[in-house]
Amino acid sequence: MPLAYAELERFYEGLVARARSRGIQCAITSGMACVAFGVAQATKDCDLLCVPDSAGEFLKLLGEASLSGQMPQYRGHLTPPLDARWLRGGWTSHFLWNVPHLDAYLDVFGIAPRGSVPWELEVDGFYAGPHTVAEMKRTNRERDWPFATALGVKLLEAGDPRGWLHLFNYEVLIRTAEAVRCPAAMVALRPALALLAGPDERLELAVKGEIEFWNRLDQLRMKVYERAVRPFMVAVKGDPRAGDPSLTVQHAVRLEHAERLLPTSPLRQYGIDRLIAEAQAQAGRFLSSGALDWLPDAGGCFSLLVA
Amino acid sequence: MNDVNKRPDWLTAEVLDHLHHVAYDFHVRAFGEEMARVNFLPLAERRRYVAEMVDHALRKGVKFNKLALGVTP
Repeated sequence: MPLAYAELERFYEGLVARARSRGIQCAITSGMACVAFGVAQATKDCDLLCVPDSAGEFLKLLGEASLSGQMPQYRGHLTPPLDARWLRGGWTSHFLWNVPHLDAYLDVFGIAPRGSVPWELEVDGFYAGPHTVAEMKRTNRERDWPFATALGVKLLEAGDPRGWLHLFNYEVLIRTAEAVRCPAAMVALRPALALLAGPDERLELAVKGEIEFWNRLDQLRMKVYERAVRPFMVAVKGDPRAGDPSLTVQHAVRLEHAERLLPTSPLRQYGIDRLIAEAQAQAGRFLSSGALDWLPDAGGCFSLLVA
Repeated sequence: MNDVNKRPDWLTAEVLDHLHHVAYDFHVRAFGEEMARVNFLPLAERRRYVAEMVDHALRKGVKFNKLALGVTP
């Protein structure tokens, strides 16, 4: 009998509950969190935020976490070790339970991509708060943007004005502004919202500019990590111990190679300002003049990354 | 999320009703009528629906698996 999705969901929630009982701060995010917040997404993988300082404790917990009789393994050769140093730099550790008919995937990261506030301050039950989840949806994948907008409206419905920061649909922005005044504090964080006051017909162009900018920024961010991981990946791939059935051995091997070959914070090394400037330049090639005049200061979305 | 006791002054019943309509119309446009209906179900029913949808997709051979790149989009 294949493992059902509901069992998998209970397994991940149980993992979070056990982690918290040991004092480990963690929360489920991304697709599973979206289902909980009323923006259903078909996913069977679990993305989990874990405070970097608890990485060692969480790895120990994983080493005890059997699913349908299977123990977890590191997934693939690109996976950095689950260690505070790399989690603080924005890396993700990937795990797999090789269950018949339904491989269970768990991705663990310490810093929410594009998170402007520490996610651990806004946990909502088993899940990261909707503001964090919405910030994580500003990706290079077109399908993620409606989730950000839907979460933005949810935040406003809950009385949280930060919902304004996540509305990336022109019609939703206009209709929301018919009933709700956008606070100056939100305009300061997202200058395009100033165009609601008119309303100004440049708003639609400004929103397109924002989306294209975030899209390019995420593509460039991913490329920085992909380049940085190559020497480590080659070393792990060539090491026969990397496939040892023991998670402890798999971890030790990855740690050994990472300490020699994997920069802890490649984005900081590359330069956040440089990354942002390149994203603006790339986005500008695909947009009409003026579309990028209303971009937010994206630097704050990288402020939690440790050098 | 905030509870009703902490509700700010601007979030009146009329505003909530307006936001609800904005949200529903957007869900229909962005996710389709069926998923919009699901998104407005109570949590337990919504989770059950998603579970059935994922199980059905897996039985039909749909692959959900993401690449393990060492970084998350």
